[in-house]
Amino acid sequence: MDWELFQQQLVSGISIGAIYSLLAVGYALVYSVYNFTNWAFDGFMVFGTFMGFSAIISLALPLWLAVIISICLTVALSVTVETTSYRPLRLRKAPRLFMMISAMGVNLAIVNTLNLIYGGLFRRFPFEDLEPIFLGGISIGRMDLIAMVISAAVLVLLWGFLYRTKLGLGILASSVDILTASLMGINNNAVAIAVFTITGVLSSVAGLFFGMKYAVYPTMGSITIKAMIASIIGGLGSLPGAVIGSMILGVLETLVAGYISSTYRDMFSFAFLIVMLLFLPNGIMGKSMEEKL
Amino acid sequence: MGYLQAITILSGCNLLAVMGMAVLTGYTGLFSIGHAGFMALGAYMGGILAKELGWHLVPCLLGAGMFSGIISLGIGYPAFRSRLRGDYFAIATLGFAEALRLLLNNIHSIGKIRLGGAYGYMDLPLLKDMTFLPDWAVVVLVCLIALWVTHMFVTSQYGMNCIAIRQDEAAAQMMGVDLLRTKLLALFVSAFLAAIGGALLAFYFGYINPSFFGIQRSSDLLAAVVFGGIQSLIGPTITAILIVAVPQLLLTFAIYRFIVYGLLFVVVMVFRPEGLFGYVQMNSRWITRLWRRNPASGME
Amino acid sequence: MDSQTPSSTPILELRDLTVDFGGVRAVNSFNMAVAPGELVGLIGPNGAGKTTVFNLITNAYHATSGQILMEGKNLRGLSPDRLCHRGISRTFQNIRLFPFMTAYENVELSIHSAPQYSLFEAFVRLPRARRKQQESRARAHQLLETVGLEKFAHARAGSLPYGLQRRLEIARAMAASPRILLLDEPAAGMNEDECKDLVNLIRQIHESQGYTIIMIEHHMAVVMDLCRRSRIYVMQLGANLATGGPEQIQNDPQVIKAYLGERKNVH
Repeated sequence: MDWELFQQQLVSGISIGAIYSLLAVGYALVYSVYNFTNWAFDGFMVFGTFMGFSAIISLALPLWLAVIISICLTVALSVTVETTSYRPLRLRKAPRLFMMISAMGVNLAIVNTLNLIYGGLFRRFPFEDLEPIFLGGISIGRMDLIAMVISAAVLVLLWGFLYRTKLGLGILASSVDILTASLMGINNNAVAIAVFTITGVLSSVAGLFFGMKYAVYPTMGSITIKAMIASIIGGLGSLPGAVIGSMILGVLETLVAGYISSTYRDMFSFAFLIVMLLFLPNGIMGKSMEEKL
Repeated sequence: MGYLQAITILSGCNLLAVMGMAVLTGYTGLFSIGHAGFMALGAYMGGILAKELGWHLVPCLLGAGMFSGIISLGIGYPAFRSRLRGDYFAIATLGFAEALRLLLNNIHSIGKIRLGGAYGYMDLPLLKDMTFLPDWAVVVLVCLIALWVTHMFVTSQYGMNCIAIRQDEAAAQMMGVDLLRTKLLALFVSAFLAAIGGALLAFYFGYINPSFFGIQRSSDLLAAVVFGGIQSLIGPTITAILIVAVPQLLLTFAIYRFIVYGLLFVVVMVFRPEGLFGYVQMNSRWITRLWRRNPASGME
Repeated sequence: MDSQTPSSTPILELRDLTVDFGGVRAVNSFNMAVAPGELVGLIGPNGAGKTTVFNLITNAYHATSGQILMEGKNLRGLSPDRLCHRGISRTFQNIRLFPFMTAYENVELSIHSAPQYSLFEAFVRLPRARRKQQESRARAHQLLETVGLEKFAHARAGSLPYGLQRRLEIARAMAASPRILLLDEPAAGMNEDECKDLVNLIRQIHESQGYTIIMIEHHMAVVMDLCRRSRIYVMQLGANLATGGPEQIQNDPQVIKAYLGERKNVH
């Protein structure tokens, strides 16, 4: 057994798992509060990545500034989408189907606009290939390390926000029951803006990491399906579950890609999804959500 | 004239898949964003049956339909089975479409069958050689039959159960509707129809390629139902034809197509979610009502 | 705790039924036994768990413990649609009609939620399927007539006035040919005249169809009238508080304290 290869795969898997967990938490947060799958998440991520990319390439801005611009623009987009395309439907208690169609429409518009402007070519961020770092005998790609560390930092910050600030607790309360939360004085609008701001931040950061690690292209948002699968693995609606599911998926996927074949990696994830639905639909941490009648 | 024939055939193939989407999404309320995958299954299986086994047209179409239908059950069953409400099915269809696309792009041959991977499956029998009718006539005929059969389905007791699920799933269950069975049935029918559309497309071109059945095709299908109207067959039929015809006629529009669709989805959902012809049912009563200008037999 | 238990095998029996939601015990060791053909009332202050009991019977919620027996056979674990076919049908506290279907269609759906002909017959509409369709059509119209909604058969259910929607719900529940009918606050939001009509309707249905009826209601007049010769269960905080005939309940000090005493006007 080639331990070194295994460790490499493991590290790579954790790194991709870190990116997935940013996305999965973003997805799970919206889902737990609004019981709604934000299909436009894909578009937000691609948008954020291209904004960051353009800032560096076309405006020759430094990395840190590009990241901030990317995050700000994505948050603006996310909140705009929420107020124009989701909230009106939510307020009139539109059925789930209609909300999904609206979200899908937003996604189509964003991704195809980006495709039109930038074209489908795979682009790379202009960083020189950095030396990998050696930690405890394992060589870890610098990008991977940064992705892991920053993702962890972002999630910790998010946890702090959710559990230690009033608005954050309001979000958590809303995820249990929106009506009760609003009756207890929590401002639904503030919660909505906060949730979608967080969505914007998470999706742009994840997108930037992904773009830096792999490439930038309009259909890169297709990895959000992995985030959804990871969320289901961990338990739909559970934030810790989203992280756990992402790590599991990221590592297993990478091992499959390394040892079996990279083409079958995505099919493995799909198969994993089906297996989960068959045997453990509540996910690992899932609470079963029953409808109030 | 050849141009018109091409549009007829392309719209017809799309129309079959749209009918499937109408049953699944328009009537039963299940959101599917991977329906082109079922078309792909039908196209490839139809191609295999015709080219490798030499079957005639009708058995090929039926075989393609059955194949796609059975696979759809494999996706639907895990997703519908659990009591949990959720978007599992939608996510599963997206995953399915992606996984299938990858699979088809990478499988170059199965045994002696050379599927070609991303290069495509070639030298398939042509529609005009398979029957005594011209190819566009075959497509039109199949569409008419499918339209009639689907109409019978949605106006039957099975169809009413599907509609009930869309309008209030929990109440439907308490009134005795078996959710799992009904949803699986709707899914099977929709996959079957999509597969026939895919197979006809394969026989028209004599060649298929995984890129024919990607997210763009799935979006087209969804758009036809969203714009055409929920709980209706006539609406999506009209928009399905328009969605194929219009981009051909307005080539400059074609590049902006999906952006426009995307924005329209939101606009339609916010202002007129039932679509253009939502709830409009084709039946003899409707026609005679127009004819005799009878007041509607109900209140309001 | 209960003074009169039916002598024959109860058609529906709940034994120590309990359900926990998170940390809250919504129903606590609730017991009930109903004889075939009885019309039983279920009352209690708001939040007592009455609708939850209905939800448990129809398996919309999983019970945490206890038994639900129909003619001695365990019902727990059966899906709501199977329960419907076993003969349990219900109306909802917040009306849950199919809003975009006509009144007629709402009723007809319950008649054939388990389709009466095969799929093949659906496609080709052989005479047998046509005949079945005609039979259910006739029955649906008859049910609409029973609740007085014949005129509104082709109106969209969502557009009907509130009182008529409640009647439609009852018709829809009856369409499933139930043996046990669970009515959840059928008189909610009705004025005195409407209540009187409703009482007559329910009494008429009960006598002509012989259903076993369990009725949750807040309108005391309605309950006391309909359950005149029958029993009423009182719930509080998820548990049995008292059981007995109307006079007994009305004079029970515990009930008065917990429930009737809260309200100055008993209406």
